[in-house]
This record gives sequence, C-alpha cells and structure tokens, in this order.
Amino acid sequence: MAAYLSLAESQRRIAGYLHRFVDAIARQDGPTLRPLLAVSSSASLLPLADALANFPDSSRLVTQSDQIAQFAEILLPLLRSIQSHRLRCFAEAYSSYEKAANAFLQEFRNWETPWAMEAVHAIALEIRLLAEKGDRELASVGKSPEKLQAAGSFLMKVFGALAGKGPKRVGALYITCQLFKIYFKLGTVHLCRSVIRSIETARIFDFEEFPLKDKVTYMYYTGRLEVFNESFLAADQKLTYALARSDPLNMSNMRMILKYLIPVKLSLGILPKMSLLKKYNLLEYKDVVDALKTGDVRLLRQALQDHEEQFLRSGVYLVLEKLELIVFQRLVKKIYIIQKQKDPDKAHQIKLDLIIKAFKWLGIDMDVDEGECIVTMLIYKNLIKGYFAHKSKVCVLSKNDPFPKLSGKPVMAS
Amino acid sequence: MSQGGEPLAGINPNPSENQVTYVGQTHAASNPYLTPPGPQVWHPPPQPAPTSWSYRPENLSTQNGYPSNYYYDPQRDASVPSHTQSGPSPTPNAQLQGYSTPYAASYQSSVVPHNNSADYATSFYSNANINSSSLQVAPNQNTGASNQPPFQNSVGHTSSTTMSNSNIYYNASGDHQNTATTAPSYQSGGYYYQQAGQAYAYPSANQGSTTVNPSYQQQYGQPYYYYNHPAGGTSVGTEGTMPGGANAGSHPGVGAAGGYSYPTNQPPPPGTSSWRPDPGTSTLPPVQGVGATGYPAQYPGQFQAYPQKPADQVPASAPTLLLPSNNAIQGNVFFSQTPNMHVSSTNQFQQASQSSQPQPQLQPPPPPYPAQIPDTRQIQGSSQLHPNMVQMPETRQVSKMQIPTNPRIAPGLSTGTVKVDRGSISTGGLAKPAYVNVSVPKNDTKLTSIAEDADKVAIPVSLKAYVERSFARCKTDAQRTANQALMKEVITKASAEGTLFTKNWDLEPLLTLPSSDATNTNSTQESTIFSSLNKEKRKSRWEPVEDTPEKKVELVSNSTNGGPSNIGYSRPEATPKMDGKNWNTMKFVKAQKQSNFSSSGRGSFKKQKTNTFIRKPAGNADSSSDSDKERELTKYYSSAISIANSPEEKKRREHRSKRFDKRKIEGSTPNNSSSILTRKANAMLLAKNYDENSGTDRAVEDIDWDSLTVKGTCQEIEKRYLRLTSAPDPSTVRPEDVLEKALKMVQTSNKNYLYKCDQLKSIRQDLTVQRIQNELTAKVYETHARLAIQYGDLAEYNQCQSQLKRLYAESIKGCANEFSAYHLLHVSIHSNNKRDLLSSMARLSIKSKQDEAVKHALKVRAAVSSGNYLLFFRLYKAAPNLNTCFMDLYVEKMRFEAVKSMSKAYRPTLPVRYVAQVLGFMKNSEEKKSEITDKSGFEDCEQWLKAHGAVLKSDGSGDLQLDGKASMTTLYMPEPENAVSHGDASLAVDDFLTRAP
Repeated sequence: MAAYLSLAESQRRIAGYLHRFVDAIARQDGPTLRPLLAVSSSASLLPLADALANFPDSSRLVTQSDQIAQFAEILLPLLRSIQSHRLRCFAEAYSSYEKAANAFLQEFRNWETPWAMEAVHAIALEIRLLAEKGDRELASVGKSPEKLQAAGSFLMKVFGALAGKGPKRVGALYITCQLFKIYFKLGTVHLCRSVIRSIETARIFDFEEFPLKDKVTYMYYTGRLEVFNESFLAADQKLTYALARSDPLNMSNMRMILKYLIPVKLSLGILPKMSLLKKYNLLEYKDVVDALKTGDVRLLRQALQDHEEQFLRSGVYLVLEKLELIVFQRLVKKIYIIQKQKDPDKAHQIKLDLIIKAFKWLGIDMDVDEGECIVTMLIYKNLIKGYFAHKSKVCVLSKNDPFPKLSGKPVMAS
Repeated sequence: MSQGGEPLAGINPNPSENQVTYVGQTHAASNPYLTPPGPQVWHPPPQPAPTSWSYRPENLSTQNGYPSNYYYDPQRDASVPSHTQSGPSPTPNAQLQGYSTPYAASYQSSVVPHNNSADYATSFYSNANINSSSLQVAPNQNTGASNQPPFQNSVGHTSSTTMSNSNIYYNASGDHQNTATTAPSYQSGGYYYQQAGQAYAYPSANQGSTTVNPSYQQQYGQPYYYYNHPAGGTSVGTEGTMPGGANAGSHPGVGAAGGYSYPTNQPPPPGTSSWRPDPGTSTLPPVQGVGATGYPAQYPGQFQAYPQKPADQVPASAPTLLLPSNNAIQGNVFFSQTPNMHVSSTNQFQQASQSSQPQPQLQPPPPPYPAQIPDTRQIQGSSQLHPNMVQMPETRQVSKMQIPTNPRIAPGLSTGTVKVDRGSISTGGLAKPAYVNVSVPKNDTKLTSIAEDADKVAIPVSLKAYVERSFARCKTDAQRTANQALMKEVITKASAEGTLFTKNWDLEPLLTLPSSDATNTNSTQESTIFSSLNKEKRKSRWEPVEDTPEKKVELVSNSTNGGPSNIGYSRPEATPKMDGKNWNTMKFVKAQKQSNFSSSGRGSFKKQKTNTFIRKPAGNADSSSDSDKERELTKYYSSAISIANSPEEKKRREHRSKRFDKRKIEGSTPNNSSSILTRKANAMLLAKNYDENSGTDRAVEDIDWDSLTVKGTCQEIEKRYLRLTSAPDPSTVRPEDVLEKALKMVQTSNKNYLYKCDQLKSIRQDLTVQRIQNELTAKVYETHARLAIQYGDLAEYNQCQSQLKRLYAESIKGCANEFSAYHLLHVSIHSNNKRDLLSSMARLSIKSKQDEAVKHALKVRAAVSSGNYLLFFRLYKAAPNLNTCFMDLYVEKMRFEAVKSMSKAYRPTLPVRYVAQVLGFMKNSEEKKSEITDKSGFEDCEQWLKAHGAVLKSDGSGDLQLDGKASMTTLYMPEPENAVSHGDASLAVDDFLTRAP
C-alpha cells in the first residue's frame, strides 16, 4: 500500500494538501479548511499521512513558497501531527497538534469575520479527541495522562477568543460544550462554573441565537450538573429542554438525556412508562420504577446494589437512593389501602406493628424504634400527613389526603 | 581641589558626550539634566559604542596627566576584590572563573554577545536609573563638607559636559543640594538608593528627578541580574583585566573597556525591566557597607589620588565593570554560601552593577570621577570611593549570586546579603586605616597584564570573556603563563589582522594548553567536596562553557575564604548598622578624601594601591575553613554593628537577620557547610532559572531533583516546625532513623495537640525535603491525621489525607481502609460535595467494602443522607477507630434535625427519656443501663433540649415529656458556646499560651 508510494507521488500529495490549505485560507473557505484540520476523523488525510511517512523532507515543501511559509507555524506541526497520528503516537500527535492549533488560533484572532469558525470547531473537537487518545496511550505506558487537561486549557483560550462581543460569539457555545466534555471526563466539573457564568450572564447575546445542537448539548451538561447539586427542578427543566429539541430518532442522544432525566423525574414523583425504558434500553431503571410503584423497598435496594457501579459512575446513585423514602410512603399507603378495604372506619390508624410486619415480609428486619423513626421521617418530609402516638405506637393519618403526591415537586429537603 | 577641578574640566567635554548618549537614550525622560545635553550626545545606540571608543583615546589623552594615576586606582579597586577572592584558594582566578562560568557562562552566551544590544542597554539603563537614585544618595553622603572639593570638580564637569559622566560627580556636588530631599528616601529606598549612590553618577544629574528612581530600581534590579551575568561572562577575563587595569594604569585599555560596555548600555529601553523589583530592596545599607568595609580601609591612598585623578579613576572603574567576572564569581560564591542573602545580593548586585556599569558608561572621561565619587559618597565620605570600587566587585558577586535566586528566594535571602554588607561595612569601619593589604594573586597579575594588553588595544567584551575563559581553565601558574603567552599571541594576531572586533570571540575555540589535565587535579579535588549536581545541570541546560562546575565550587570556597565577602555573608545584621556607619563614615571619609587629595600626588596613589593589592591576597590565603571564619566574622561584625543609625530600622533588620544567624550557627559544620552552600546555590540557581524561563517550557523538567535532595545530619529528636524560606540545610534536617524516634516520641508524648502538631509538621518537612516516601512517611501522616481528627483540626487532617491518598496510591502500606473510611465520612458529612462522594464511593474496591470501618462509614453516609437519626446514633455507638470523631462533628446537627422531625411527628408528647435514648445521650441504651449513666444521660438530654428551645412538660407519671406541637415553633439552633469570630476555635488564645515549649 502506502509503503510503495513513489517519492514524486508523495511530494505531490503533500504539496497538494498545502495548497488546498493555503487556498482555503485565502478564499476564506471554512468548509474546505475544516477537513484539512481533522487529523483523526478525516479519512481524506490518510493518503497524506502515508505520503508524509514516505517523504522525509516535508518541511522543505512548507518553507519553499512564501505563500505557504507564512503559515509554517501552523503547517509544520500540523504535518507532524498527521504523521504521528498515522503512526499511532497519539501523545506526540497531540503535542504537535496543540502547537498548530495555537498558531491557528493566533491567525484566527486576526480575522475579523468568523468565516473560519468551522475550522476552529474542528480544531476544538480534534484536540479533545487527540488528547483522549494521547492520555490513553500515556496511561498505558504508566505516564501521567495530562493531555486532556492541556486540551482544556487550550480550549479555554479559544473560548476567550470567541466569547467576547462580535460575530464570533456564536461559536462560543460549541467550545463550551467541548470544555464540558473534558471537564466531566476529568472530574473537574467545578471548572464549568466560570464558562457557564460567561454564557448565561451575557446580555449581549441571547442564548437562543446559538446553534441548536450546541444549545442541546449545553443544556444536557448543565442539566447533569444540576443533578449533582440535587436541584431537581432545574435539572428537570434543562434536561427536558434538551430532550424536546433533540432528534427522537437519535437513540443514543435520547438515551443519554433520559439517563439523567428519568431519575430526576422519579424524584419528582413522575414515573416513566415501561415502553420508554425498553425503547431506549434503560432497563436498569425498571426495578427502581417497579419498586416505586409497589412500595417494594427490597426491590429498590436490590436494584441499587445490582447497578451500583453504573449508577455511581453516571452520578445518579445518590438520587436513586433518596427514592427510598418515597418507596416507604408507597408501602405505608398500601397498608392503608388494604386496611381501608377491611375496615374503613379504622383505616386512618395504622399500627406500627403492621408496618414492621410489612418490612419483615420484605425481608428487612426492623425493631420498633426503627419503625418509629421511619414513620417520623415520612411525616417530617410531608410524605405522610398525620402524627404518631408514641405511647400507643400508632400512626394516625390525616383523613384528608394522607399521602400527598409529589406531582412535580421534590421531596422536602431535610 | 584645584587639581580635581582641572582634570574634570579637561575630561568633561568628552565624557559628557558619552554620558549624554547614555542618558539621552535611556534616561532622557527622567533626567532633565541629561536631556539638554542630549542633542550633543549621540542619539543612536549603535553609534555610541564607536563614539565611546573614539572618545576614549581622547579622554585618555586629556586625562593622561591625571588619568594614569586614576587608572591605577580603579585597577586597585578591581584587584582588591579579586584578591579577596583569590586569597583563600590557591587557584583563585581559575576557580573563580570556573564559578563564573557556570552561572555567568550561560548568561554570557546570551548577554555578552548582546552587550551592545538591548540587553546590555537595559542593564545599563537600569544602572542609569540607579545612578539617579545614587545621585540622591551621593548628595547625602557628600553633605559632608570634605567631599565638596571633589564635588566641585564634578560640578565643573557637569556644567561643561552637561550631564554626562560628570553626573556622578556632579550629582555629588549638585546633588548635595538635592540630598536633603533625597536623603530620607534613600534610607527607605535603601538598597537602590545606596546602590545608586555607588553607581554614581551618570544619571545622577538626571537623578535630580528622584521620582524616576522607584520604577527604575525595579527595572534595574532585573537588568542587573542580566547584567551581572553578562558581566560574569566578561568578567572571567575581568579578573585578569581588573588587575591589569590596576597594574597597567593602562589608561587606554581601561578606557576602552569602559567605552565598550558603554555603548551597550545605551540600547536598553527604560521600561525593559519587566522583572520583579528586588525583594531585598531594604538591604541597601549592606551594599554600602560592603563597599565600605574592607575596601575602604584599603584605599586610603586612593582617596588622595582621587581628587587629582578623578577622571582616570573612572575609567579604571569602568574596566572593573567590564571585568565583572570577578564579581560574578564572587557573586556565585556568595550565592552558594548564603542563599539567604539573595535580597541583599540583589541590592549589592544593583550596587555593584550600578557602580560598575555606570562607570563603564561614564567611563571615558568622566567615569573616573563618577566611579570614585560614587563610591565615596555611598559608603565612605572620601577615601571610600576606592573602597567602593573594591566593594563593587564583591557586591557584584553577590548580586550575581542573587540573581539566580532573586525572584523566588529573594525575600528570605536578603539577610544573607545583609550579612555580606555588614561584613564589608564593619570591615570598612574597622579597616579604614588598615586598608593596605591587598595583594594581587599571581594569576591575577598575569591576567591583568594580558588584560592590560587587551585594554590598550581596546578589547571587545567578548574577547575579554574569551581571555577570561582561557584563563579560567588554567589551574597552575605554569599553565597560566603559557596561556598568557597564547592569549597575547591571539590578540596581537587578531588586531594585526583587524579582526579584533569582527571576530566572534564567543564562538572562538580555546587554544589547547599544555598539560591541562594535570592542572585540573586540584580543582577536581575541591569540586568533589561539593555535589556534582551543578555540573550536570549546568551542562545540560546551559550552553557549554569551558568552565566546569568545579570551578564554581572552587570559587565558592574562595569567596568564602575571602575576608570581606565572607564576612558580609555571614552577617545579616550588619546591614542596618551599615546605614549609620556609612553615613558617619561618609562624612568622615569625605574629610579624609579632601585631605588625601590635596596632599597626595598621583604617583603615590598608584603605588599605594598596588602595594595593597599584592599584600592582601597573601593574607587571605591562610584562611582555610570557611565556616569557622564565617562565624568569627559574624561575631566580629555583629559587634561592629552597634553604630546603626536608625534604631527602628536596625531592630527590624537585626531581628530578621538573627533568624538566619541562629540557624547557621546551629547547623553549620565546617565540612558540611560548603556542600550545603553549593546545594543551596544550586537550588537558587535553578529557581532563578526557572523564573527566567517561565513561559518557555524548558525550565522545570530538567531539574534534577535527586541532586537537590538533602540528606539530613541532624540528630536532634525534637525540632520545631519552621516554614522553609530557602533551600533546606542538611544540618538541620533529621535523617530517617532519627525521624522514626521523633515519631515515637510524639506518639508517646503527653503534651498537647499543638505541640504534637508542630513536631509532626517538622517531621513531615524533613521527610519531604529528603524525599522519603515509605511506610514511615505513611505512619507519620497517619499519626498526624488521627491526632488532627481527635482534635478536630480538619485543615491539618485534609493535608494528611491528601498525602496519604497519594502514598496509598503508590501502594505504600498503611491503614488504607481506615483512612478511606475517614474520607468517606468526611465528604459525606462535611463537604457535601456529591461528586466527590460519588467518586470516592466508586473508587472503593470490593475488598475494602468488606472492611468494618468502611462498611460503617458507608452506613453512616446512608443514615445521614436519609436523615435516619436512629440509625445514625446506633452507628455512633458502634463506631470503629476514630469514626466517632467525625460523627461527633455531625451529632449536633443530627440531633437538631431529629428533634425537629420528632416534634412534628409525635403527638401529643414524647418522653424525654426516649429522646435521650434515641439520640445517643445514654451511654449504652441497648444493654442494661446502670442507673447513674442513665441519669446523667437523661439530664444531658434535658439540658440539651432546653438549650434548643424545646418545650418540656411533665405528665402525670412524673416523666418529663417533649411537647411536640409546642416545640415545633420554638426549636432553634443556639450559637455554639465556643464560637470564635474567625471560625476556628482551635486558634483560641489560651491554646496558644499553653502551647508546649
């Protein structure tokens, strides 16, 4: 294959690439420029990479003509990066690419119109992907993976170049989203705050003017942040925004959003249909939903245990864990309903013994004090209306709506 | 008087022009005086160099009558410093050079070539500024009546020449008037001003505008660094030149040299100094002191000469400037010795550089005056001028040293510098009369002769550096002689071919010397004493210089031996006094000067100087043990310090410097000290380097931390924690076995937490500086973390926890599970950071989840998150390890939540006994409770409920009941009794007072 490229052919390919690059800049042709920068995702660069491997002195081609040489600071590292990437030396490819990207950003700052926005976005994406690959490579040889972090700081620079006033601002949200991806991956989500502030507090630019895809991505990530904060209403609003605007046929995007939206909705007392879970392959929530429907505490605990790692990773574990009280409520309500069927007159008085018996039936051992404590918590959190009589060990329910529904409101915070 | 005036007048025209150029370019804005001449002066920087050259001859000629003498003086001065250096070590020059090379070399490479260019310019520039400041200073000093004659001369210069070099002198004269105003600033400005004073004059005229100074100082500080370095590069040769200058009285040569440097100065933009202002600014006095100390005494003769030949002297001084090598070397030495000195070093630096630099700039005609004058003004009244010159080299050395460190360490270092100054100062005070013993080492003389030759021909700086380099590799006299011959040949050839100025001497390969290997043995031996780190690092990062690290080491040792420098070094305290001394001395000196001038002829002056030079080195050579000497010196100086002028200043400075003294005395063992110093110097150098390179990415990565790692020698088990402000001193660091004992001691100690915390921190520090990371390290951190948990010191706990996390990650054995339990508890209870909690939960391995402590922690977390108070307090009672301590911190909150929910849920009432039992007031609720504990628990609960606003009432049975409905609205969280406004009760005053010794 490529190994037998002739020298002339190699040179031709490289020169062709260089000319396309320079022409695209000269004509301010962003769409043409874009694939030329996509080191890892553009198949069109493969022949070039082979040619580079074959042609040792590519830097001469760059410096040969003045027209090309003026972009030597971009092109030289870019060619190196393409070559390193082809050789699967991703850490090196990243380092070179970052140099090229810095040089390009320098140029970009000087261009008044945002014609090269596509190219900048391509760079932002590339640099993140390369950094991730580079980090994997570094980690595999026992070095500390630091490229993604470096990519983060580079993107902050890009963000700085875009976020000001002017026509370039429209491209800032894309960079923000790339930054989110990096920060979430690195676990440094607190760094998102400054970016969010600059996006959300700016009055000069209406959020709705950003491209839709960026808005959806942005809402998805900020929604996730709200899940971390356990501010379910805000999370619900953002994730719903994202869900409503993404393509329902794009299963993976829908699934990603629902993965967070479902726990949020559950916390608000809204249960999904089983068909939804099936459609988007979110069956890990099935048991949780069932537990909420039936008041089966054991099922909930089992589900949490079964999917613990997954839930911990996605960050919804603590949210799901908090559903337990709602499950308790459901359980007591079931007792109440059964009791009401037997003896409607005494239905609003539930003996603690019954509750404890129900728990035992679910395989959860509990003594009287624990039972009292749970009932107390339910009353305290407004999941049960009524009171508990310590002396007689009876929970007395209000006759009017003893088990208030959450219906879109979160459980009262402790 | 009259004599002085004449020379000045003659010289002035030329100098003025030269000066003007400088001034005009750099200082134009600031220097009103200078500006006027500006038109006359040559504006273009490129021109200046040539002009200066051309002038030199003129100047020389003009000066000739006087100049010759003058030249002598400068030379002497220069030589003195070198002597001091060389004195101690057998091969002073070579060593010195070597030293300079490592540091200076790199600089040289960059700077030297550029001398003409901006770099130099900047440095000069800064100098100029300094000068201005110095002018002010000078005036103050001058104030003494005696000075006036010289000044008058200078004044004449100014008038004729305008601002030029005369400035220095002029400043003195003209500035005298100004002085009143400047004087106050001077003290405060301290270093800069003083330095300025030393720097003298050029700008001095300019200085008239004092305002410039502050900014300049900063700038200048930075430039200096550079400057020094370059100087160092050049200086290698410089040593040689210095002496040569002295010997030769080679006016032309000297002048040329001065002129040389001169041009370079011009380019520098004023603003250039981007570097930080010198931290050590306060140190100002020391510089003066330095200058004043040994040197002044030595130079009495000079004073006399001075008046007569001010112009000549100036040129001489200029050469010294050019010759920075000595300074650089010394500087390095100092550096290594006293890292602390940084600050002062900077100042000294500045001073040195100022003095030296300015002189070069001024050099041609006026320089002589300025150089001398400034010196005198700054330090001593009259005679000291020369001393200053001498001092200058020292200062320069110091400054170089500092340079590397300055940015980072400078603050801490200042003491070091101060010390130096003092030493010098004290010497000055004491030595004044004694001035005599300055002998030039053989090497120097040889060098000098060559240098002289070179000077005569007007040698380019790079050539000088080249010559210095060549001499630097000479380890023996024989080699030196051979080298000398070689150099002569080379230079003659070059000048014959006309390539003297066109050749790139920096790149010129050195000619091979006979049996250089054999010669090297000496140096190697010496070098072995020191860590070899220097070599490696230097080589790797800096351009290859002929000089080896060994040389540096040698230099260091030499410098240590050298009387004045060492002394200064050792005493931080000296500086404060310096001021007073200086002031006093200044007047005194001035008087002397006048008399000297009038009485002594040129010729006599020369002779005196030369004599002094020769003698001095011999005296120094005797001293072998650096540290011993240092100590002696310190004592000596400290006693001399008594003269400090401003009591407040003095107190402060002494206080500051004492810290270092103490440490030094405790720590220094003769053998150790040198290597320590080297290491420190290294570290500083690195630091400096790092600073310089920040922005580029080459700095940190090639630091060889292994080489910097300290091996402790301290055997004390107990050690107080003191935050390091400089590179660690091995003599105060405990080795691992001692640390182990120390840990045992802490663990078994009955003293309070604060004492233990202090001890553990010092143990941690010692571990860190020795880079010990093993089970002992884990144990120390675990011990400290546990103590901190028990004491409720979460800040300290956090530090330990993060270190432990790292240690465990490196699979160092310890109580990993115990501490991951603590971590879980901490994040779940205190930090409320959901993401942290999630990730730390996700990180738990299946195995560690089986651990009792971890299981417990997870349960606690669940209880807290769900608000299950019952579970929480049951877990509270069953907590393993110190889990209870974490829970303790949450108990209050949990109880309050619980009571709130109880009062909402329970109707009509709830027995307090039950509350007490559920909320953990009873010691052991589950088992058969003893009546007593039960009772006390119950009472506690009752009190607690009352304190939180619960409504209690007793029912018919006599049991106290919590009234749920009534309590719902009355519950509140009381302010904690031990609350403190700063939020950290552990900082309460009485804790500090009870702190163990």
